[in-house]
This record gives sequence, structure tokens and C-alpha cells, in this order.
Amino acid sequence: METINIVLSGLGGQGILFMTRVLAQASLHHGFPVMVAETHGMAQRGGSVISHLRLGEVESSLVRTGTAQFLLSLEENEGYRNLPFLSRGGRMYVNTNSKHFPIEEVKEFLDKREVIYRSIPAGTIAQELGAPRSSNLALLGYFSAFAEGPIGYKDIKTTIDKISPKRLKDINLKVFEAGYKKGKDFRGNFFG
Amino acid sequence: MIREEILLGNGAIALGLVESGCQIVTSYPGTPSSEILPEVVRFVKSEKLDTYVEWSTNEKVALDTAFAASITGKRAACCMKQVGLNVAADSLMSAAYLGTVGGLVIISCDDPGPHSSQTEQDTRFMARLAKVPVLDPSNPQEAREMVGLAMDISEEFRIPVILRPAIRVCHARQNISFGPIKKNDQKASFEKNPQRWAATPRFRLILHGELNKKLKKIGKRFEDLSQYNFHNLESGKRYPLGIIAGGVPYSVIRDFLSEEKRTDIPVLKIGTPYPFPESLAAEFMSACEKVMVIEETDTLIEYLLRDKDKVMGRLSGHVPPEGELVPQVIHKLINNVLEELNLEPFQADDDHEAVQLVKDLQLPVRRPTLCPGCPERSAFFAIRKTRPKAIFTSDIGCYTLGLNLGVVDTCLDMGAAITIAAGFYHSFAQDAIEQPIVATIGDSTFFHAGPVGLLNAVYNGARFILVILDNLTTAMTGMQPTPALGIRADGSKGKAISLERIVAGCGVDFIEVVDPYDIKKTTSLLKKAVKYVKDPKGGIAVIIARHPCVIAYPDEAIPQKKKVTITEDCVECNFCLDRFECPALYHDQELGRVNINREICVDCGVCLQICPKGAIVEA
Repeated sequence: METINIVLSGLGGQGILFMTRVLAQASLHHGFPVMVAETHGMAQRGGSVISHLRLGEVESSLVRTGTAQFLLSLEENEGYRNLPFLSRGGRMYVNTNSKHFPIEEVKEFLDKREVIYRSIPAGTIAQELGAPRSSNLALLGYFSAFAEGPIGYKDIKTTIDKISPKRLKDINLKVFEAGYKKGKDFRGNFFG
Repeated sequence: MIREEILLGNGAIALGLVESGCQIVTSYPGTPSSEILPEVVRFVKSEKLDTYVEWSTNEKVALDTAFAASITGKRAACCMKQVGLNVAADSLMSAAYLGTVGGLVIISCDDPGPHSSQTEQDTRFMARLAKVPVLDPSNPQEAREMVGLAMDISEEFRIPVILRPAIRVCHARQNISFGPIKKNDQKASFEKNPQRWAATPRFRLILHGELNKKLKKIGKRFEDLSQYNFHNLESGKRYPLGIIAGGVPYSVIRDFLSEEKRTDIPVLKIGTPYPFPESLAAEFMSACEKVMVIEETDTLIEYLLRDKDKVMGRLSGHVPPEGELVPQVIHKLINNVLEELNLEPFQADDDHEAVQLVKDLQLPVRRPTLCPGCPERSAFFAIRKTRPKAIFTSDIGCYTLGLNLGVVDTCLDMGAAITIAAGFYHSFAQDAIEQPIVATIGDSTFFHAGPVGLLNAVYNGARFILVILDNLTTAMTGMQPTPALGIRADGSKGKAISLERIVAGCGVDFIEVVDPYDIKKTTSLLKKAVKYVKDPKGGIAVIIARHPCVIAYPDEAIPQKKKVTITEDCVECNFCLDRFECPALYHDQELGRVNINREICVDCGVCLQICPKGAIVEA
């Protein structure tokens, strides 16, 4: 299989590690060999955090710049910061409330490189459901609605169900569903 | 069905340890090594083993303990980060001479970057210095296998063996299939032999000779260790360029060459950089006109290669001498060399435009900061308020982030908050200058390296305020317990060690405990401490600022939630943002005042005490 590279970014405390684990576990369940690189230590205290997820027969865990098919970011600026990882024709998913996403300079660049970008107010969605720290799951739900990734809605949902800590399982699934629905609705509108 | 899990590299190492029949595992937490011991505990529980595990107070203690187990015939391991091995160096150098009985594996995790360390030091050089073998895994699966090899080599040759995984092995995750895990029933027995185990210098010379002989034999073994030291030369063929690599860079290069379908560049992988497989390297070198060496973090392989004229690496300026070798960096370095040698380049890099764009965007640097609700923030706030002109010596842990609050001026190594404070005191006192000094150290760091420095400072008459930031956990590295908790590595109950009694035992007469959430009380205690330090009959004043970590104990840390809001009295002086720097406080441009980010506010209510205009109030 062709190697699939996914970069996940955000700020320490936003749940990048959990989001990565969900995708990795779902991918393994699907039969893909999995390699992940994580950020631990000081950066987890609110600094820039990034995870790399590679699916396929690879030996190293890090994604090289210019080769990620997917960039998922829980924060707009962190998304921009990691643009060098995106490959031509890649996909970018960002959590932001901004109506001006992506900003002009970035839009120009993304269009030129034929990158498809989508944003969702994942933080607000999570907060409205009473789980302000679960924006990661809203973004995952949204991502899964477009069925572009190597693993789909069902696999991801099953994995969230399996690996969420007991006390968070219900709310995690609820936020994930809300993100998914947002994506489905968007697609509905888009495709008429 | 075969059990398969996506394991963290540190989990794979832990699996290797239990698979190798390791009976004693000790560790002191430190990024990137911290998860090894908890993963061992997980496997010990799931496989019902009786492996002894401990969080030791520091790395020297951890190594001494594991060494003792080894000389009773048991298989033992100790795990630490690379700078931890500095603390254990005294033990390591001597243990190399004395040798082992049961296998003894030292796992020392390197941090090229550095991501979460004071230095980028290369453990492989420590192994060379101590004259012990070192294995350098390229990914989690290999790290797991190498643990078993290290254990076998250690036991066969009676020598400690180091495994050096770099951060990209420790914090990589990979799907790993589990094999059977057998319990090791080796019983402890200690054969007295003072000439070895308590060797005097005369016998040390003999032991040194023995060590050198062992290394020679192990070197021979490594020449034929085709699983980890190998190349893909075609016999009789000559190459314009070959690459020698080990550790993480090897796996990166392997991926490049298969992606680019390049078979014209042979690679020599070195899995055992010391003792160095010299003949294998010589064979590889003789088939190549030029050889590029790509290794992390320093130049061990490069030093050990004989024919330096052929080598393109750090010494020749082809590889940068600092920083992590991430894929895009290695890609460019190899391309530069291919170009220099007029060889077909790799596919051009496709990131220039994006890199320039990101540069032009001038994105705000997101520096790490203390969490919302962190009790260390309130302690720092009170310290700065009381002693604005002090020199602030600090230490290693989350609270190094007191930097952002202007309350950390020095950070040298574990325990140095105290020793540097004492050194400052004597330096200024010599010139008759009364320099205020406030030292801050975390509870776990204090246990690790505090008491020796403190009793030295008391004994030698230094004067300063020491604030022990006691959040009841080792927070930075992932909430490992400290000796004060009385909870051991496997969750069982141990004896709780009192910080107050240790401080008293070091000869300190001023010891006060305060909850730093109460800024007023903390401030008044600090004032009392100032007086004591200045008093002719005074000395070192120790304040223990005790409040549970908000991440480790969210409920205990904030028993009564207080929702705060900001009134129109806010004059945008930014005092709260600069001096308190809670991530939940931000300047709201639309509102024209400071506002609260409800997504991350934990309702601790501490900020109610800080606004000079009284604009932060309970909602």
C-alpha cells in the first residue's frame, strides 16, 4: 500500500495524544501497520504539540515535510505553523470559530497547491455539549464525515467506544457524533 | 489470536524487559524515559509476574539497586533519561570494572532536539567512557528485541550493557505482537568475593584488564551480529557513495531509499556503536569512494571510523553538530552530498514555499506555561510580590516555567536551586553585599538531589529563602508518585517520607507550611522568612508551599469551584497577564478588557486576589 501520512497539531492539553491514539487504533483494527510519533514532556504544558501518524510499511515515525496527505489541527495558528508538512493536493481540517479561515495569504497558498481545507467550530460544539475539553472528538467526527481518510466513521466510532475512559465514554461519543453531523450537513448542502 | 497492541516505544522496551525475565526494574522519571516503568508494571500485573519495581529517589540509587540485584544473580534493569545517567555516572564507571552476575541493562534515553532536557548529550559516549557495550535501536520493535540481546550479552560477558533509545524511539508508537512471557525463577544468592565486589585500587587494575578483554570478545561478537550490524553491498561492486547510520536516522534513511527506489546507495547500519564492528565498517568503506555518516546526537561512529578522508559527516561540516535530525533535514543533507558528488539527487524538496509562508505569517510562539489553576503560579506570584529584587534560583520541573513570570533566573541541574543559592550567598557575602535570594524547587526534585545541598548550605552558613513547591507529585514527567505520598511504583503502600522532617534533619530551624492558593498568607510568611534570613541569629528559611497538582488531583486541588468574571473596572494594565500569566486570562480586543477563556478556566478563583483595580470578581 501507499504510505499514508497524517499530522495532528494543536496546543498542549487539547487532547492531541488521544485523538492520535483513536486514529492509530482504528487503523490497526483496519489492518494497517501503524507508526506514531508523539510529543511528551514540557510542551504538553500549553505549548505547540504535534503528532505524526504513518500507515503502511515504514520504519520511521516522523513525517517529512511536503508528504502529509492530511493535516488536522485543533488550533488555527498551529494548523498554519504545520503547513510545511502538507503535500500537494492534501486535506486540511481545522478547529476554529473564525469566519475568515483560512486567512488570505494561506488561502492563496492552499489553492495553489490544490489543498482542500475545511474548518469547524469544534471547541464551541464541545462546550455547548458541556465538554469544553473534547474539541478533539468534534474535529474527529467532522473529519470522518467526509470519508476521505483511510479509516471511516464506523471504525473511529467503535474505537472511541473501546478506548475512552469509562466516565468520558458517553460524552466523547456525543461530541464525536455532533462533529460528524456537522460534516454530514455540510456535505448535504454542498452536494445539494 | 495473537495479541497485538500499539505500544509506545517505552512500552515496547518494557515488554522486552519482562520477556527477558528481568526480575528487578528501577527508575527515576525523566522525559523521554518516564513511561518504561509504568508499562513494566502493567505487564507484570497482566502476566501475574513477581517482578520487583521501584521509583528510586534518583538515578544513582536506581543503578546501585539494580546492580545489587545483578550480583545476586538476578536479571535487573534501570531506566532513566540521558542526563540521569550523569547522576548515575559514579555507579556506572565502577560497575563496569566490577562486572555483573545476572544480566544488568541500563536504559538511558537520549533527547536530540532537545525537546525536554538541559543538554543534547549522547549516551553512546557515556558507554565509551565507562567501557560498556551500547545498543542503539531504530524503532520500538527493535528496541524491544535489543533489550533481550542486551540482557544476554550482559550475563554472558558479565558486564553492564546500555540500551540507548532516542526520543523518537521512546515516544514512537508501533503495532507490536506479543510473544509468550515466561517467569524467571532465578533465586538470589551472593557469593562473597571482596577482591571483586569491594576491590581496592590494586585489584581495580586487574579488573580493568578483565574489562578490556571482555570488550575485545564482545567486539568480535558484534562483527557477526548480522541482525543489527549489516550492509547491502553487492560483492565486487564499487560505489561512489555509501551511508553509515544508526538509531533513528537509520530508519529515516531506510524509508527514503525505498520510497525513491534507490539501490545505488548502499547503507551500513550500526546497531552496536560500541564496541564498534570495525572489520564490517572497513569492508563497507573499502567498497565506497565516499561515506556519509548520519548518527544522533554526536560523532561516535565518525570518531571510530579509520579512513577519515572518505567520511562526510559532522566533522567535515556535512551534518549540523547540534539539533535533531528530522526527516526533512536528513533529506536535504543527503541531497547536498549527492549534488556535491555529481550523483542523481533525490526528488526535490517540496516545502520551501510553505516554510517561507509560515515565516512571513510571524505566528505567535506558543511557549509552554503553567496550567490554569497551577499552585506553583500562585507561589511565584507571592514570591515576586514580596522579593521583587531577589535573585531567583530554580530547578528542573514544571516550575522552570516560572521563567515566564520573571521568578526563575537560574536552572542548572537537579537540586541546583539550593546549591546555586548557597554559591550566590557566599559570593555576595564576600563583598559584604546583602543580596536577597529566593530558591524554588519541586518536591520530587528536592527528594532527588535537595537534601545534600541543603545540609551543606546550612552547615556552611549560607542564607536564603528556599520555597519547596510541593504539589504532591512528579508533575512534569507524568504524575509519578514521590516518596512523600507513601505510594509505590506498583500502587502498593509504602512508608510516606515527611518533607518537613528531612528539612529539619538538614539542620534548618525555620520551616513553615502554607497553601499557596492563599496569596496573602503566603506573602506574610515570606515576609517573616525575610526577617529570619536577615536576623543575626537566623539562617536559611524554608517554606513548603503545599497544594495538590491540578492535573493529578483535579478534585482535591479545587474543592470549591469559584467562577470569576471581569468587570468594567479593568483598565487594561495587563498586570494579571504579565505577573500571573494564567492561560485562561486573555486580552479581549473587542471587549476592550481582559476576559476569561471558559474552555480552559478551572474555576480555582486564585486570580480573585491579584487585580490591583479589583476588577476580577466572583461571578
